[in-house]
Amino acid sequence: MKSMKNRITDGLLRDNTVLSAGMIISPAIICTTSFRDSLALVYAFSVITFFADIIAYLIPKKLPYAVRVIWTSAISSLLYVPVRELTMMIYPESVERIGIYFPLIAVNSLIVYQTQHRFLNLDFRELLGNLVFYILGFDIVVLVCGALRELIAYGTVNNKVMNISMTVSGAGLPFGGFIILGIICGIYRKIRSLLSSGED
Amino acid sequence: MFLIVSFLSQLAGNLIFTQALGTSTVFISAKNKRSFMGVAFIICIFTTFGSMGAYFADRLLNGYFENFRLFAYVLITGIIYLSSLFILWCISKRLYGRLKKYIHISSFNCAVMGTLYMISENPENTNISDYLLYGLQSGLGFIIASVFVATAYKRLNCAKVPSSFRGMPAMLVYLGIISMAVWTLK
Repeated sequence: MKSMKNRITDGLLRDNTVLSAGMIISPAIICTTSFRDSLALVYAFSVITFFADIIAYLIPKKLPYAVRVIWTSAISSLLYVPVRELTMMIYPESVERIGIYFPLIAVNSLIVYQTQHRFLNLDFRELLGNLVFYILGFDIVVLVCGALRELIAYGTVNNKVMNISMTVSGAGLPFGGFIILGIICGIYRKIRSLLSSGED
Repeated sequence: MFLIVSFLSQLAGNLIFTQALGTSTVFISAKNKRSFMGVAFIICIFTTFGSMGAYFADRLLNGYFENFRLFAYVLITGIIYLSSLFILWCISKRLYGRLKKYIHISSFNCAVMGTLYMISENPENTNISDYLLYGLQSGLGFIIASVFVATAYKRLNCAKVPSSFRGMPAMLVYLGIISMAVWTLK
């Protein structure tokens, strides 16, 4: 039972979508310049990935791998249309700022490849559990990264002024995103190794 | 001098260093020399041929049905994906067996899809030759970035690097430093 529970929560801790599996790094670097933009990204990513993966699960497994990948991408690109409209209603400025990375969320590797390699072999209940935690894994990283970068670059979090004396504007630029994500990734690995040695 | 200027402009507009597009793919492919060259060249083919398809898709959509542009690009990439697999299979079954995994990795990723969007968003690209050139340049930029990552891969994965930062975290910081240098070129 414990191993089953561990397997379902893998996407959050042991096999985090961004920090461990190294997937969907581009939006996590470029679009997380503020907490609000991160929220818009999280919203679109969660909705598109959840529904696209569930629909992709219904694609016949007998089809060749390449055809399944194309079908899955086509489904998510169609799901993107209503999700973009809904996100525009809630976070119009963020969608504009995120720009070309917003549609790229719909063809992320969690939808396109992880579905084929990992999710298709699970039963439906396991798929739901896994999917939720893989999505949460991405969401948490993006929100933490967004809050941290906004704080370091502008001294605010979600547009609320924080009491810090020094800001580094470079944190809001792509190279700042690379470096901060790298540091978060290193800290995550350290915590993960400490936790796993504690379990042993 | 021309070559230096071309190289610097390639770096300044590089997909990975300035846009972080295809970072995940380059991390996967950098693990060995053969795979990084294979993936980089196939991505170059995808961006070049994809850019031609994007030109026709943009003309067809013509500002209307803007939200369906992603769907159109997915179809274009899908056609290139299946065609490249089929052509490779026709040429040699052994070659197909060896190279198909690179095609699988190279098809749907941020480097290819992002390039198609960037071409389309750039108002300077008005005719098919502009699209084609931009697609080719982006692909070449990806190859250059792949070389940068692959050369550092071994060192960033060695025992001298603290275990928590070994591999991906060190590579991200390394890319950040190169990206910072490239930013000054812009």
